[in-house]
Amino acid sequence: MNARTFFIAALTGAVLVLGACGTKQSTSEGTAPEAKDAGAAKYTIGMSQCNLGEPWRVQMNQDIQAAAAGHPELKVIFKDAQNDSLRQRSQIEEYVGAGVDLIIISPKEAAPLTAPVAAAFAKGIPVIVLDRRVLGDAFTCFIGADNKRIGRAAGAWIVQRLGGKGKIVELKGLMTSTPGQDRNSGFREGIRGSGLEIVFEADMKWLEPDARQEMESALARFPKIDLVYAHNDPGAHGAYLAAQAAGRDKEILFVGIDGLPHEGQVYVKQGILAASFEYPTGGREAIETALKILAGETVSKEITLSSRVFTKENIAAGGEWLKKP
Amino acid sequence: MTNIASSRLDGGFRRAFRSSAVRAMAALLFVLLLGVLFNADGSFFHWNTHRDMFRHISVFGILACGMTLVIITAGIDLSVGSVLGFTAVLFSLLSLQLGWSPWLAVPVSLLAGTACGLVSGSLTAKFRLQPFIATLAMMVFARGLAKWISGGRKISTAVQLADGSYQYKDVPGVFRFLNSKLLGENIAVVTLIFLACVVLGGLILSKLRWGRHIYAVGGNEEAARLSGVPVGRTKLFAYGLSGLLCAVAGICQAAQEQQGDPEAGSTYELTAIAIVVIGGTNLMGGKGGIGLTLIGAMTIGYLEKILSINAVGEATRLMLTGLIIVGAVLFQRVRK
Repeated sequence: MNARTFFIAALTGAVLVLGACGTKQSTSEGTAPEAKDAGAAKYTIGMSQCNLGEPWRVQMNQDIQAAAAGHPELKVIFKDAQNDSLRQRSQIEEYVGAGVDLIIISPKEAAPLTAPVAAAFAKGIPVIVLDRRVLGDAFTCFIGADNKRIGRAAGAWIVQRLGGKGKIVELKGLMTSTPGQDRNSGFREGIRGSGLEIVFEADMKWLEPDARQEMESALARFPKIDLVYAHNDPGAHGAYLAAQAAGRDKEILFVGIDGLPHEGQVYVKQGILAASFEYPTGGREAIETALKILAGETVSKEITLSSRVFTKENIAAGGEWLKKP
Repeated sequence: MTNIASSRLDGGFRRAFRSSAVRAMAALLFVLLLGVLFNADGSFFHWNTHRDMFRHISVFGILACGMTLVIITAGIDLSVGSVLGFTAVLFSLLSLQLGWSPWLAVPVSLLAGTACGLVSGSLTAKFRLQPFIATLAMMVFARGLAKWISGGRKISTAVQLADGSYQYKDVPGVFRFLNSKLLGENIAVVTLIFLACVVLGGLILSKLRWGRHIYAVGGNEEAARLSGVPVGRTKLFAYGLSGLLCAVAGICQAAQEQQGDPEAGSTYELTAIAIVVIGGTNLMGGKGGIGLTLIGAMTIGYLEKILSINAVGEATRLMLTGLIIVGAVLFQRVRK
């Protein structure tokens, strides 16, 4: 095969792959009502997601899609900013240019996105900010969950579960990120005054392989560990795999955060995690709020999502709502 | 008399010191000394700590074996982490969710990895793209492939049915086997696979004609071409083998995580490159070896393990790792 035939073959392959991707995308859109009956859609909502690398954010988009599927008057466009603030800024500007009726943004970071959000808001387009914040108050509504509260609830649950004393390993999310800091400080508040002792803590950067490695170190150092508190479910799962390899998974409880249906909830059902605390995506609430705004109702400026705890006992019943503080 | 004896001794010492392997060993010994000094209440002296270090570094080590061959040809393979992610997802999809037998799923995954390597290789060899560019493109493309075939989700034993509920499949035997330990629980299976890759790479480089060609291409490509070395095919071979080893690593990664994560392996290429250069293989090509890479892998592995058992904070870890890399590579150059 000479170079030219090879090149043509490669090009054909690339076109085929792209074609296949395209078909896949259009079929997935086809499941939503707006594609079936695009003429009936009265409102267009532009959604800008900061990245789809995290399963939690994939879930957020799916929750939005699922909630919107019940409302044929809505058409939702999704854009992925691939973790780039400037790309996300252009997406907001594109939505403004396209004249959408409402914007939902889950911003990558506050400072660079405050101005574009404010500009859209000033043009009269309602903006719902999801999960992470922007600065100031030039937006319609912020919807998010409170990591500190979830950390506190996890702490209180663990104190109760262990009867007030025990040795804990804490596997932290990236400690330069706000969720990591809040899940840490909330937890420390939750266990304050109890006999729980944190014997080992390490930053596993939200990553399962890192969590496994850190847990191996904890297992090597401490002959007795009662419970692992990990800042996300993959971290707790990595710790479980390390304990399993050391034959110590039966004597340790594992607690994680996020409670995604295909991740944390599955681990709880399988008996791997003793509990997973939900960090809700707010996708459904965003669509509900959007409908209210589009109908001309006033909504509160800030909506804090309540979350659930999933345990072996309550998972079949859909978890248990955490008490409001 | 004493003068001559001492100078002869000195000469012998210098000669030994001139060898890259001895220098690489010195860096490793330095790290091990850190472990002895900061032994975390004696945990460093338990075999389990060492076994776990070897388990953790194995996936990186396997990638580094392929990387070594590519670097000796004066190339670089930036795509190893992404190809690992792609093959981990593919292997999980085939064996966890579609229930393929490992006798089929493993070869298909290995072929897919090799194909990625061959594409990078032919872009370099036939189209004269710089290896950095060709493999950068493959790095991005393979990550996209991984996300596409997985739909952006981790492929685990929980399979979603049409009605949204989940069905749990058993973890297949091949996953359990690759995640287990042998010889009285004293060595992880993935470590044995890593060591097998080291032996394979060593044999290729020292015993086979392909190995001599790899050194020749990296040493001086034009001279190699003039003396009849098939330069293009040699590069294809090196990149293809690197792709194959990425797939081996991807399968090991999936088995250890018991899932296929489309994000698996991001930035692993940097660790693999660090392992190769700490061992003493020259980034300019033509010099180096797999044995050095084994020493480099142990140096990085022990460093991470020692920092981990002492629960050293993230900031300190990163700074120390950077310093050790610079130190080890500078040490490779002293009075050479």
